[in-house]
Amino acid sequence: MNRLFRVLLGAALAVAVVFLALPVLAIFLRVPPGELVAQLGDERARDALLVSLKTSLVAHALILLVGTPAAYLLANRDFRGRAAVVSLLELPLVLPPAVAGLGLLAAFGRSGLLGEQLRFLGLSIPFTQLAVVLAVCFVASPFYLRAALSAFEAVDPSLLGAARTLGAGPFRVFGRVALPLALPGLGAGSTLAFARGLGEFGATIMFAGSLPGRTQTAPLAIYDALDEDFDVALALGALLVVVSLALLLAVKLVPTWTRSSSPSTTLSAPFGSR
Amino acid sequence: MLAVLLALAGCRGDGGDQELVVFAASSLTGVADRVDPGAEVVFGGSNDLAAQIRDGAEADVVLSASPKPLEELRSAQLVSGLFIFASNRLVVVVPAANPGGVTAAGELTRPGLKLVLGAEGVPIGDYARESLQLAGLRGALANVVSLEEDVKGVLGKVALGEADAGIVYETDARAAGDDVRSFPVPDRYQPEIYYYAAFVLPRSEAAVRYLDRLFGVEGDAVLRAAGFVTVPP
Repeated sequence: MNRLFRVLLGAALAVAVVFLALPVLAIFLRVPPGELVAQLGDERARDALLVSLKTSLVAHALILLVGTPAAYLLANRDFRGRAAVVSLLELPLVLPPAVAGLGLLAAFGRSGLLGEQLRFLGLSIPFTQLAVVLAVCFVASPFYLRAALSAFEAVDPSLLGAARTLGAGPFRVFGRVALPLALPGLGAGSTLAFARGLGEFGATIMFAGSLPGRTQTAPLAIYDALDEDFDVALALGALLVVVSLALLLAVKLVPTWTRSSSPSTTLSAPFGSR
Repeated sequence: MLAVLLALAGCRGDGGDQELVVFAASSLTGVADRVDPGAEVVFGGSNDLAAQIRDGAEADVVLSASPKPLEELRSAQLVSGLFIFASNRLVVVVPAANPGGVTAAGELTRPGLKLVLGAEGVPIGDYARESLQLAGLRGALANVVSLEEDVKGVLGKVALGEADAGIVYETDARAAGDDVRSFPVPDRYQPEIYYYAAFVLPRSEAAVRYLDRLFGVEGDAVLRAAGFVTVPP
């Protein structure tokens, strides 16, 4: 009986591993590595990678800049409706990306909720790189907010209290005590958010459209190349697999680099969904 | 569990035990199914449908938006007969509110106009480029803000009011109703957009009856109602 149970568990694991690894492996087996590298020299692939890199970096800077203080506040203040605010911030995690795209259009589109105001400011967001950045921010920032929230929550409040008692101002308490202690968790969340942003597809294609060299990110280029340049699509796909794997490994390794024992780095979030 | 998965794999809409199965290009939605209400109609991209027939999907008739996929099937002796039964036209669509102030198809080159087209390799994208080329409006390509993977993408961006203009099939513009306004593209700038019907081999009696209806008064009426131009066989 005992043995049967172990066999069943083993079989389940084997099925899971094969099912999840096979499609990834198949990408690499379909085209020889030399060919993959050569295809990355393709102008479309290069353009798409540049657009992806640029928009992801800008979006990520915004996510860190706004997300870190926001999460710090949520971790240290209890107020009415806090749970609702946290749920709201997590909503994009489970929202279908097509819905995210529609929502962004309905809010920031030309005929959207803020369309008039944006026009007054001389801004037209859809079809621009700003639209790509906003789409990435929308779908990726919850990954960072969640991780940052639990990282700040794990910081021992008595340490912050002690710093205050010793005369440290709020900026100093944040910068010299809370931030360093939460850093591993922040790092992991940041990496996950970056990976999710890099793979963004659904919201981007709806809100920003797809124009090579301007709004066509790597995932959009893969979709575009499918019908004509299957090899370019595979090469870009393979590159994204490698980058994603590197980011995932970084998340796993960050906690072991630092002495901090906060293992709550959230790999539990449903990430990578289209 | 396995049984459930296998059952799901069988549910790909290839008709099962239906008497007559028609594979039709998505732009024929509302047409191919009305020609014969008794037929099981599977809609999809013409290339995808051809691929399914190559993989052994059971169909009696295939209706394609371009000749190429069917010519390939014919070379592989999977279909016979290639009959043109309708043609479509291109139109320029603008949002109902017409934010770009477009008054004719020729204005697509105006600087700053936000134009959405199909991507290269996508039929509607290739036809639109051909038409712009014929009209000497290649400058309009500089106004393109997005290249979409299908007609729906183009039409959606226009209907939502985000793009100033797009080029789609007349039938799709009609189906979009009041959300868009369309401007005709003059005859001399229209590319040849023909729809082809073929029998899947072995040819069935039901297939012959279906094509008879398609080329008969029933087919003529539904095709025209949807905005297609009918072609005598």
